[in-house]
Amino acid sequence: MAMRNTTHRWGAVAQLLHWLIVVLIIVQVTLAALAGDLPLGMKKLAMLARHKSVGLTILGLALVRLGWRQLNPTPALPQTLKPYERTLARFTHTMLYGLLFAMPLSGWMMSSARGFPVSWFGFFQLPDLVPKSQPLYHALVTTHQTLAVVLGAVVTLHVAAALKHHYVLRDDTLQRMLPLSTTTQGTKR
Amino acid sequence: MRPRAHALLTAIVLAAAAGPCLAAGAAGAPAVTHYVLDAAKSSLEFTFQQAGAQNKGKFTRFPVSFDFSPDNLAGSRLEVTVEIGSLDTGDQERDDTLRGADLFAVAKFPQAHFAASQFNKTAGGYEAIGKLTLRGVTRDARVPFTFRTADEHGVAAGYMSGKTTVRRLDFGVGQGEWKATDQVGNEVGVSFVLRLTATAH
Repeated sequence: MAMRNTTHRWGAVAQLLHWLIVVLIIVQVTLAALAGDLPLGMKKLAMLARHKSVGLTILGLALVRLGWRQLNPTPALPQTLKPYERTLARFTHTMLYGLLFAMPLSGWMMSSARGFPVSWFGFFQLPDLVPKSQPLYHALVTTHQTLAVVLGAVVTLHVAAALKHHYVLRDDTLQRMLPLSTTTQGTKR
Repeated sequence: MRPRAHALLTAIVLAAAAGPCLAAGAAGAPAVTHYVLDAAKSSLEFTFQQAGAQNKGKFTRFPVSFDFSPDNLAGSRLEVTVEIGSLDTGDQERDDTLRGADLFAVAKFPQAHFAASQFNKTAGGYEAIGKLTLRGVTRDARVPFTFRTADEHGVAAGYMSGKTTVRRLDFGVGQGEWKATDQVGNEVGVSFVLRLTATAH
């Protein structure tokens, strides 16, 4: 598999970034859910510290991903799509990219507003994005949680669309993002 | 003058000159000045590692009694009492946790205490050598500091500042799960900038 994208298929780098972020988002949701149920204690601190570090990792990977996207051709949407489906696909993808930035940034700002500086796995400490402020903190908690719900909805749409392409429309939209499949030309299988 | 007479005369003059000095030393050292804290213009802060990042807090009530003279370190005394319950890390939930039984246990040990009666002159200032009592544990502690005085409209003020490091687990600040140091570091930086005012004893 080529490193770079073609107009028909995602290359290895784009696929790696896509699936790595998928795994990290699952880790994030898990850590957030587990930490949310704990009282303030060492376990909660440890989980939230990891949640923040993984979030920053996603933010970094999102930057790399956007950069890589600029330097590569983007595989074309299938010809069979109706205009509204194209619009919906573009909207979903734009939302996903936006959320890859908005989620970690709102979380980082949330920590800053609470007065808890953020570190990346203890290796280095990041600057505070906003000054410490109780009302701002509460607003950012709501923002972060709302964005998480939006992300859940958009991911559901994204996955549903991928499965529809694969099982109903029987085109290779999903396969061209899968490393082991031997798809070809972005048309009907 | 013959050399012998000269030597004798020199000895007499030297003895006459040195006499009063030796007498003064024996009679008593220079008086120390008694200082108390100007709480409004003083700070006692601490920094600690939490989740890999440097966090800050402060104590707001910490009366100080300082008897000091740079010329009479042997007669100098320092006593600091820190009201642990006055801690403030800028987060209510964290402050409550810190006051709890597994950390500072404020209900049982409301105060920390530093008492020093030995002082050394150092290159950068002074060093107070004494005992720090925290959470019921007393250990030797050395605290370096700088000190300068100022006459402020007739008020004799003393400015004292310095910083040191305290290992929290040496004093049992961290029981149970809080003994672990991966999320909350063992070393706590303590820094102080104090304005003291001279009073009568």
